[in-house]
Amino acid sequence: MTNTVATNETILVVGAGISGLTAALESAECGKNVVLIEKNPSVGGRVSQLYKYFPKLCRPSCGLEINLRRLKANPRIKLLTMAEVTGIEGEPGDYRVAVQLQPRYVNENCTACGACAEAVTAEIDDPYNYQLKQIKAAYLPHNMAYPQRYVIDPSILGTEDAEKAKAACRYGAIDLDMQPQSIEIQAGAIIWATGWKPYDAAKIQPYGYDRFANVITSVEFERMMDPFGPTGGKLLRPSDGREAKNVAFIQCAGSRDRNHLTHCSRICCMASLKQATYIGEQYGDDSDARASIYYIDIRVIDRFEDFYEQVRADERVHFIKSKVANITEDRANGDVILHGVDTEGYHRYDNPHELCVLAIGMEPSVDASQINGGVASDASGFIAAGESTGAIFGAGCATNALDVNRAVQSATAASLRAIQVVNQVARAEA
Amino acid sequence: MSDTKTAAYICKGCGLGERLDTAQLANLAESEGKCAITRQHDFLCNQDGVGTIRNDIDNEGVTHVVIAACSRRAKTEAFNFDDVALTRANLREGVVWVRPDSEEARETTQEMADDYVRMACAEIQYMHQPAGNQEAGSNKRILVVGGGVSGMTAALESSKAGYEVLVVEKTAELGGWAAKLHRRVPTREPFADPQDAGVVELIKAINDDQNVQVFLNSTIVRTSGAPGRFSVDIGTESGTTTTENVGAIIQASGFRNYDASQLPELGFGQSPDVVDQAGLEELAKQANGKPIQRPSDGKEVNSVVFIQCAGQRSNAEGHLPYCSGHCCNTSIKQAMYFKDANPGVDTVVMFDDLRTPGNGEDFYRSAQRKGVIFTKGKPQGVNKNNGQLEVKFHDMILDEDAIAKADLVVLATGQVPNSGADIEQLAAASDSEDTQNENAELTVPVDSILNLNYRQGPDLPHLRHGFSDSHFICFPYETRRSGIYTCGPVRRPMDIAQAAVDATGAALKAIQAVENASVGRAAHPRSGDLSFPSFRKEGCTQCKRCTVECPFGAIDEDEERYPVFNESRCRRCGTCMGACPVRVISFENYSVDTVGQQVKAVDMPDEFDEKPRILLLACENDAYPALDMAAQQGLVYSPFVRILPVRCLGSVNAIWISDALNSGYDGIMLMGCKKGDDYQCHFVKGSEMAYDRMGKIDDTLQQLQLETERVVTHEVEITDIHRVPQLINEYAAKIDEIGMNPFKGF
Amino acid sequence: MNTLNTAMVEKYRNDFLKEVEENVEEGHWVKMCMQCGVCSGSCPFGPDWEHPPQEIFMMIRAGKRDEVLATESMWMCTSCYNCIVRCPRELPITHIMHGLANYAHRLGLAPKMNPTRRFAKIFWNNIAKTGRVNEMALSLKLYFMDGFASGVKKSLAMAGVGLGMLKTKRLNPFTLFRHKGVEKPKQLQAMLKKAKEIEDRRKGLAS
Repeated sequence: MTNTVATNETILVVGAGISGLTAALESAECGKNVVLIEKNPSVGGRVSQLYKYFPKLCRPSCGLEINLRRLKANPRIKLLTMAEVTGIEGEPGDYRVAVQLQPRYVNENCTACGACAEAVTAEIDDPYNYQLKQIKAAYLPHNMAYPQRYVIDPSILGTEDAEKAKAACRYGAIDLDMQPQSIEIQAGAIIWATGWKPYDAAKIQPYGYDRFANVITSVEFERMMDPFGPTGGKLLRPSDGREAKNVAFIQCAGSRDRNHLTHCSRICCMASLKQATYIGEQYGDDSDARASIYYIDIRVIDRFEDFYEQVRADERVHFIKSKVANITEDRANGDVILHGVDTEGYHRYDNPHELCVLAIGMEPSVDASQINGGVASDASGFIAAGESTGAIFGAGCATNALDVNRAVQSATAASLRAIQVVNQVARAEA
Repeated sequence: MSDTKTAAYICKGCGLGERLDTAQLANLAESEGKCAITRQHDFLCNQDGVGTIRNDIDNEGVTHVVIAACSRRAKTEAFNFDDVALTRANLREGVVWVRPDSEEARETTQEMADDYVRMACAEIQYMHQPAGNQEAGSNKRILVVGGGVSGMTAALESSKAGYEVLVVEKTAELGGWAAKLHRRVPTREPFADPQDAGVVELIKAINDDQNVQVFLNSTIVRTSGAPGRFSVDIGTESGTTTTENVGAIIQASGFRNYDASQLPELGFGQSPDVVDQAGLEELAKQANGKPIQRPSDGKEVNSVVFIQCAGQRSNAEGHLPYCSGHCCNTSIKQAMYFKDANPGVDTVVMFDDLRTPGNGEDFYRSAQRKGVIFTKGKPQGVNKNNGQLEVKFHDMILDEDAIAKADLVVLATGQVPNSGADIEQLAAASDSEDTQNENAELTVPVDSILNLNYRQGPDLPHLRHGFSDSHFICFPYETRRSGIYTCGPVRRPMDIAQAAVDATGAALKAIQAVENASVGRAAHPRSGDLSFPSFRKEGCTQCKRCTVECPFGAIDEDEERYPVFNESRCRRCGTCMGACPVRVISFENYSVDTVGQQVKAVDMPDEFDEKPRILLLACENDAYPALDMAAQQGLVYSPFVRILPVRCLGSVNAIWISDALNSGYDGIMLMGCKKGDDYQCHFVKGSEMAYDRMGKIDDTLQQLQLETERVVTHEVEITDIHRVPQLINEYAAKIDEIGMNPFKGF
Repeated sequence: MNTLNTAMVEKYRNDFLKEVEENVEEGHWVKMCMQCGVCSGSCPFGPDWEHPPQEIFMMIRAGKRDEVLATESMWMCTSCYNCIVRCPRELPITHIMHGLANYAHRLGLAPKMNPTRRFAKIFWNNIAKTGRVNEMALSLKLYFMDGFASGVKKSLAMAGVGLGMLKTKRLNPFTLFRHKGVEKPKQLQAMLKKAKEIEDRRKGLAS
């Protein structure tokens, strides 16, 4: 099935994380028509999976709420979820973009009443919680999910569970016959905001992410703090569910490393400083609790320095200038032992910790070299600045490793570039 | 008002039909709520339900709609009628989802629902569909203050989108600091070598652009007006002034270099061979690719030491506490000036943390490949010995004191923002002037950039360390003066590449501001809101609270000290409405009445019923969503609470509190966002203001001989999903403990 | 003092990094170290090093020529390659360590009694003679390098192993006298000599 749902004065925004949402909203609030597409069943992207933002330690869902209200209130934005770009044709001012829509098996009649989830017994790994938690196979992706509509996981199609879900819905919202759909979207300019993904921690062999239960990544740690996360907001380590009070953070896990990612991922120092404050938040003045940050350089530029100073003043947080050489496991108690040399004076250490968090590096979730339409890719797969030839503009972490603030700036700038193109189209058509 | 027609729609879906007596709700809407039409529907948000409402609007002349169904945050796509005044009674998240489905709970649950219908009907009677500000300014020109890279980029990008731009530059030429650079840090792969700063091309583009008009040797003498209708007096050096009308302003006033003469311990001022990074750019420009010579005697420099973080990242007196962010890359670039001209020159970068985020890492590697030495060391002093400079330092890696000899020492000092006058300091100074006359000679140390004629002062408020940044992580452009956006190093220390992105973003926001202003729409965070504050002059006592407390400087004062509302500057938070002691300020769809009448609409059981009533005024941005999500989780709370969302706690007028206490509420809770330095209040000071005002209410309570616990204020985050029901339940228990309001029934 | 050493001191004055860069195998990599310390932490013999690899790099940058060249540290390297594999800058640390050791040895600054150095020398002389290692000769030479008494002691300690190897025909005592080398050892030696000349010329060590 093919139908066209936009014109060439439309801006297509690919990805509805913080960058894509921002680009779409800023464009629409300038009076432009926007089609916003998102691969996942709900918008918000990776920041919606964060517990807190640095440096204010405020809640990402707070800003998401504002953005959702802007989105709900703006008739100029058409949102398509579970949608992915499969091809781009055309030229600046006149793109035809093929988009594949995956079936949600739940239509807009859904009231999010939750009856289907109650009816279903099968469980799946929760993608929102990085597969660390089990949820029902009929689910609302998370508390703030928008569209506020359930999803039926395809794994239960054809089973009794699917029928149970369908029977439980009193609003005719469940449609098990939904099929994938291909549509074409016409657009004058495209904002590519597909964001980042954590580097595959298992590739950092000496750290044993794939071998030791108590070696986790920073994004997983972030989920552990959420009261609705896999551990109900407690810092319980995976091996035995015991409270982890002695937590190590390893910086540059995958970044600044020619064996992995050559770039510095920029956010990880601040992320670990932030996560170090979680220890204090969790255990209060408990003198046993401590965080140890193993770093090469602490890269917290501009006023983030204030935050660094604040964390440094906390005597529960220790800084060790060292790239950890390797990790072993104490089989008796599940502790992980970090081995290395403190380069300030060359003190060798074999430090046991109850939990080790890898400050994992950022890589683009879509390799820019795979995007058509004149997009230039850098060696890391980010969209290269200022080299693209078309009207496809990178925004946020699709262009570089950026923090939220900078990603939003980048998205706002991308929005203007797209507007420049569609304004030109409009002038030409007038 | 004769053509007003109100309709109420009561949904029976999502268990509402089973758990509630919806017929009774419909009756209430008709009898007490004065609704001309009341309808019940099994599934109001489906096509048929929505169609019913649409039909009533189109064919029955319905102008005001009450939807009694789920939360106002849910099903917004279905209940989207932008041509009528609309309110939602929250029977799902507000009632049935937070109450146990049991026989004993049935009565109190129904009472909750009854009250929410009453409240919605009361509110809608005082609501009007806002028509938008009719006096909106429609000027779409954009003024850029500052002609450096940030300013020029903002101008060019705005122009490319089809907007006219004025650039005001205080010096005789465009280019700013970047024009003084020999080369800049690379912006593209392989990020290996310094590249041309590109300023000449930028200046040419500006000069060739018909849409861009440049005022050199000029400053802003006076700025008045509002988005869409700013009036700006541009003064030239010769003393002439031109007045221009613009729709939005981008402040790209950049930075100045930290005064290195404050660092005598690092040799600055002691020897001409100690320079700052700007000084080195000058030397490099002179050398123009040939070996750089040292200032003292013109000898070719054979060894140079760069001292990072000079006078910054330090809490010492007169130092900058922050990191300027660009200086590591800049020193790397400058070291390359030496290495590229003569690989034999010893170049040492002495650092604490080498901060080259992103692709800066490639540049760092390139420098190492060129033989630049990086030493993690703490400098202890720079001295001259036998005609050569000696940098004493502690080698942090080898853990020993050492000396590095050098022909030239470069201090990587920081950026100081040109953010104009610190209006808080000004306000403090004028306050003390009022009380102590001896301070009258107090001078303003910094010239204003914008010279706003706003009551709140001539410049944008500073955030930390003098930068005029936005406070918000997710909304980096939200300054506290609508239609005025900052970009570049005035906002936050930054390099050229970041400044260019930042400037482009600021240009978008300026364009958005003029587009919104021209149709009378609000800017962030209530973007699209067409309402605006109106005020009844007859009742005004010229107390100035509204003008003082407006977080956005939207309200001026006229000669008689009456407030003058500049609608396009307003963000619609209602802080002025909350401030007004005589209640003369209101919005068409949000007023003292729309809330006050809801407070009064609640049915008040008498004191022997043992059914206390608690009013909860909840910030719609964080507390209200948290309550919704608590409901979604099936958390249960007291049926005695009545929740009323407000735009911001800042909009809470004390009259609501005293009315509530007078009409028999036993307790009042306020839930707002975090205040203080790390405030999360989207309207900057609303939450703080509420705390302040409630502090004063305590006195009133004591005068009335009421317990101070009758009014409590909580800081709530949107994630406090478990905490909000708990706070309610604890408070209900507290009320139980202190007893019913003695004013009940009077 | 070694004349080469004197010449080098003269040539490079204070710039030991440059000296290393130009004279030590893979020495040009030293400047690329980003000071993370992973090499030092990764070395299985790390605790026994006087100066771990990164410290050596830092000492080179700081111009600590005498200390670096005289240290036993780089002689500790067993070529396990852990450091190379983990180095985020892909420095060939193992090779640099061997290069430094070799350079110190040539300058006559290497610690005389360092066992690795002595083993390396004995091994080299053994293999260079015929092109194949004479295991019997090598073992005996190693056992007896500290004198007759200690040699007898070591031999007796290893007697059991030796007998076992004899039984399983893994050791032939006669090779001590009739060792089969390459066909034309003279030519091999000429090749090695030429190779050394080329290398010396490349490194500017014509001595």
